[in-house]
Amino acid sequence: MGQQIVHRLLISFPALLGVLFLCFCLLQVVPADPAMIIAGPDAKAETIAAIRRELGLDRSIPIQFFEYILRVLRGDLGRSIISNRMVSEELAMTIGPTVELMLGAMLIAVPSGLALGTLAAVNRGRLVDRVIMACSVAGVSMPVFFIGLILIQYVGFKWALLPFTGRTGPVWDGGLPSLILPALTLGAVLIGPIARLTRTAVLEVLGADFVRTARAKGLRESVVIIHHALRNAMIPVVTLIGLQAAFLLGGAVVTETMFSWPGVGRLAVGAIVSSDFPTAQGAIMILAVAFLSINLLVDVLYVYLDPRVQRR
Amino acid sequence: MSVEVLDSAYVADHETGTFARAGLLRRLARDRVAAVAALTLAAIVLAALLAPWIAPYDPYFTDLTKVMQPPGAEHWFGTDNTGRDILSRVIFGTRNTLMLGLVGVIVGGLFGGVLGILATYYRRLDGWIMRLVDVMLAFPAILIGLAVAAIFGAGLTAVVIALVVATVPAVAREARGAAMGVMGQDFMEAGRAVGVSDGALIWRYLTLNCISTIFVFLTLRFGQIILTGSALGFLGMGAQPPTAELGMMAAQGRDFLFMAPHIATIPSCVIFVIVLAANLLGDALRDVLDPRLQT
Repeated sequence: MGQQIVHRLLISFPALLGVLFLCFCLLQVVPADPAMIIAGPDAKAETIAAIRRELGLDRSIPIQFFEYILRVLRGDLGRSIISNRMVSEELAMTIGPTVELMLGAMLIAVPSGLALGTLAAVNRGRLVDRVIMACSVAGVSMPVFFIGLILIQYVGFKWALLPFTGRTGPVWDGGLPSLILPALTLGAVLIGPIARLTRTAVLEVLGADFVRTARAKGLRESVVIIHHALRNAMIPVVTLIGLQAAFLLGGAVVTETMFSWPGVGRLAVGAIVSSDFPTAQGAIMILAVAFLSINLLVDVLYVYLDPRVQRR
Repeated sequence: MSVEVLDSAYVADHETGTFARAGLLRRLARDRVAAVAALTLAAIVLAALLAPWIAPYDPYFTDLTKVMQPPGAEHWFGTDNTGRDILSRVIFGTRNTLMLGLVGVIVGGLFGGVLGILATYYRRLDGWIMRLVDVMLAFPAILIGLAVAAIFGAGLTAVVIALVVATVPAVAREARGAAMGVMGQDFMEAGRAVGVSDGALIWRYLTLNCISTIFVFLTLRFGQIILTGSALGFLGMGAQPPTAELGMMAAQGRDFLFMAPHIATIPSCVIFVIVLAANLLGDALRDVLDPRLQT
């Protein structure tokens, strides 16, 4: 298993290098010269040249890229043009809330999706199955912001049940109420795909010999479904959850913007709107690296869940 | 076996395909849900195409005496914060939103398909192309949109580029998977053995046999592309005011959500209906064209 993990880590390396190169290019191709932006509109040519030297912009592109990687490894992502704070500091403040939001969304979506998918599979062809599947197609087709708008309007504003702007603090420090609506918005779009795939996977497993054997030896139906069918049906579902990470990260950007949630996505959008390129670059890089890491984690989990993969 | 014999065998296959496709509409029509979805989508596309003729008002005409009016007889979908008719803006906005989806699907599908098929046919390219695909897949569509908007500035072009770039790797993977299956077929080896040129093998033998799988995948992808495009519009990275685009209209309406919820919810509902119809139709098409992919 250790060998498998090392192999997957090695495969991820070129992708990581590619991500870093694309993020590096982002600052190279922006129409504005970062040195001119930092120096301001009335700066003298010498000042701009000095800043260019200081930023290393006067060197060749491969050297700049190499230096960029070294800087990233040291955690130096440059300085925000707007707040003049280190980008790494800004990111450090926003990563926590984004992780919190994504975990919250997963905590809502995964159990609900698994439960609904299994319920639909067990009741195949009945009304419950049809209703769950119809809702899942509808859920997949709904824009994230639509769900957010409805929740803000009714749960947040009309019924005033939960806060709908900003984050009052970490979950363990009274921040749970402010997390619920954003997490529900983000999680809602994931329930459909998870339910759908769980249904297919459980249906497939329910026809397998080992399920028949489990029933034949007199196990209770709930034990057969939860311990035998669902556990084996988890393999494709885990892969799907990993693949949906892209969707979740994208959705997190929208959700954070809607709910003024102080996460990396909102930081990226704000930086782009205000032409704060170093911050935008850092935020985009962190999101892409996070996405790569989640995929890697899913691959490792896959090896753990399906022992057949280890032997391949 | 001569090239002519192989070709006639291919033509016979192809004709069977055409024959099968002739029954496609009939089989789709039998599926009631798919028929309703197809009709809804057709009506929306028609409305978008005929926008200048069927929109009841000028979508850019502001009337400050009629701001934020709820849906009624005069303005079916109500008016927005500057008194513009929402129905007319939705019709024009649908045009832009559909255009984004179509360009993303067609251009992204074309590039992705070519990459996937070339990777399969020329094994030495496979490693390079698939590593490139891996890197591209490391950027979720919204992130690509943000990056493109950071470089070129927000606008419909930024969204189109993002949607195309996001579609390419997914289609490339799908096309490679489909092409791998075809490459293993005897007729490919036979074609090569009798000296069919690479170009002919790639196009007539490989590509034409993968097209239905790629087409089904793109149909299913269309809804996702529309969702991503409108999410980018919602974030302010897409069409800029006063241009009508459904995602951007929803974002503008968000500021008036508590006073006039219809401004944000109506464009969002329209996106939902378009994507739902596209997904249902995609599911039905998949079942008809590529039953192996059924879930």
